[in-house]
Amino acid sequence: MPDDDERKGAPEETSPQHRDAIQTDEVDAEANERFIQRRRFLQAGIGVTVAVTVTGLSALTVTGSLKPIAKITPQQEPPADGDVLVHAEDQSKPVQLSEIQPNAKQLLCYPKDPKTGIVKSGTDNNLIMLSRFDPSQLGPDTAPHAARGVVGYSGVCTHLCCTVSDWDSKNGWLLCPCHHSQFDPREDGKVMAGPAPRPLPLIPLTVANGQLTVAGGFMTSVGCS
Amino acid sequence: MGNWLDERLALSRLYKKFFRKMFPVHHSFFLGEITLFSFVVLVLTGVFLSINFEPSIRLVQVGTKQLPAAYASVQFIDSLPFGQVIRSMHHWAASVFVAAAFLHMIRILLTGAYKKPREVNWIIGFLLLVFAVVAAFTGYSLPFDAFSATATKVGYEIAASIPLIGNWLAQVFFGGQFPTEHSIPRLTAIHMVWLPLIIGVLIAGHVLIMFLQKHTQPKYAEKIAPGKILGVPFWPQQALIMGVLFAVLVAVLALVGGLFNANPIEHFGPPGPATPNVKPDWYFLWIFGFLKMIPSSWQFTVFGIHVGSEFIGVAIPGILIVIGFLFPLLQPSKTKLRYIELPSRHKVRTATVIAVLAFFIATTVAAYKQGLGLSTGFLWFLVFGGPLVIGFIAYGVLRAIYAEDRDESEAVPGADASPGD
Repeated sequence: MPDDDERKGAPEETSPQHRDAIQTDEVDAEANERFIQRRRFLQAGIGVTVAVTVTGLSALTVTGSLKPIAKITPQQEPPADGDVLVHAEDQSKPVQLSEIQPNAKQLLCYPKDPKTGIVKSGTDNNLIMLSRFDPSQLGPDTAPHAARGVVGYSGVCTHLCCTVSDWDSKNGWLLCPCHHSQFDPREDGKVMAGPAPRPLPLIPLTVANGQLTVAGGFMTSVGCS
Repeated sequence: MGNWLDERLALSRLYKKFFRKMFPVHHSFFLGEITLFSFVVLVLTGVFLSINFEPSIRLVQVGTKQLPAAYASVQFIDSLPFGQVIRSMHHWAASVFVAAAFLHMIRILLTGAYKKPREVNWIIGFLLLVFAVVAAFTGYSLPFDAFSATATKVGYEIAASIPLIGNWLAQVFFGGQFPTEHSIPRLTAIHMVWLPLIIGVLIAGHVLIMFLQKHTQPKYAEKIAPGKILGVPFWPQQALIMGVLFAVLVAVLALVGGLFNANPIEHFGPPGPATPNVKPDWYFLWIFGFLKMIPSSWQFTVFGIHVGSEFIGVAIPGILIVIGFLFPLLQPSKTKLRYIELPSRHKVRTATVIAVLAFFIATTVAAYKQGLGLSTGFLWFLVFGGPLVIGFIAYGVLRAIYAEDRDESEAVPGADASPGD
């Protein structure tokens, strides 16, 4: 900063009027010098303030844009009442009730809006896992949301967001391949083992016109963080 | 010609100052050089990969299939002459980079070379190890096959689980909630531009400081020529040894890269709805194992800030890293260390290093929890009890074998009171 001051002040010091003043009257010269110093200080102050404000605002704007703005496309809309279900692997195929074997590995699917025909596969958060049991095996919190023994859960592990795509056939639990959290699909997606902090979110299902259909959104928040 | 240049560039001064630097002769002193050379291999193979890679997850038509562009470009790299070998070499060189840096650090630890005046270089070296691991992590996100997408997703969620700032930080680093269209371009820039630049600058600083401060001298130098610096000069002797070492490293990496195809992307295929059953690379297994051990009940909320079990699972390794970072500063000393300290004369420190290594091994074993059928309770004993037991055994063994090697004053805090002194 002092360098700047001197540069700004330099032409004034050498200007002829000031040299005259110094020669004629020493008191005057001193006052003049003080005045110049004060003016320089003020100029420097204004300069610094402007520079800091401009740099700061620009830096803030750029930093703010580092985090991309999330856009929600129709493919990323959450599942809604009336959505039908299609296979996650082959999204042209609707899920048939008969395809879901009881007490067997879960089936991964995505919701599809029957009006627009859009498959909501734009985000993993819409992944739904279907398992089927004898209705008498289902717990009291789970049974009302099942459709003919078929229960649906979010496919996203509540630990670190892997897909809970494995099946523990010994206990009949949903198993996450990443850090081996296990969930009981009969009991509201309760955590049975592993590091997951919360149960898997349940999604209510129903059967309409012989077709497995979503009867509302996920009952708790989907995801892991 | 030499004279002409010397008059203008003062080459003879450079020669005297740097090219005559003495390198101590001991095999354990080559670990740092191996780290440096594997970085050179990474840059060279990385140039080839970078000019053929397409940083995008937009779907492109390949034959009858729609594949993410990044995945398709890795298929293209594999189809080029030696493409797959060079990609494998890049992968194995990254492993050597991390491994050699880690062993180099252990050598520094065991010989006390982190002590005054070399604390700054310890911190730079530790930063290098951390950045090396981050570079490796961002590297294996790029092919965008099912394996890399899963590993990167877990990395994203770990970063996002940091209280308060995690969500913002993760979204900045990974370009939104991974995977978005911004993710791979951003990770590419970090992996191919910024991390190599940072690592390159840190290596330059690390080596320059080493030249200025000189190596710690091997113990035998104290007997042969006390007060003098013993070793072979950089030019030409050490440079020749380095050249041979570099050639051998390149040869070994080419052989291994040719024999073992690293991360074959067709094995897992492009990312799909299901998660493949994967484990991270070996240098992440200890954190991966730790994550499996933390029970889900370990979560709490303080002042409205939620701290989940997934954060606790990485916070404990994180604390260990911070301690490792700063511990030379916790041992103030008046004298400057000239000669290495023998591990046999610093039994507490040596035993502690062995215990820390046992901790890494135990947490790595925890990564195979299901495969080995281990219970969480046993793992907790293994991870915290195991290193303690092994540390005490190591101390006992050291005392028994090196009974006549009297301990020098131990620098480990609290060790002054130990019976070994």
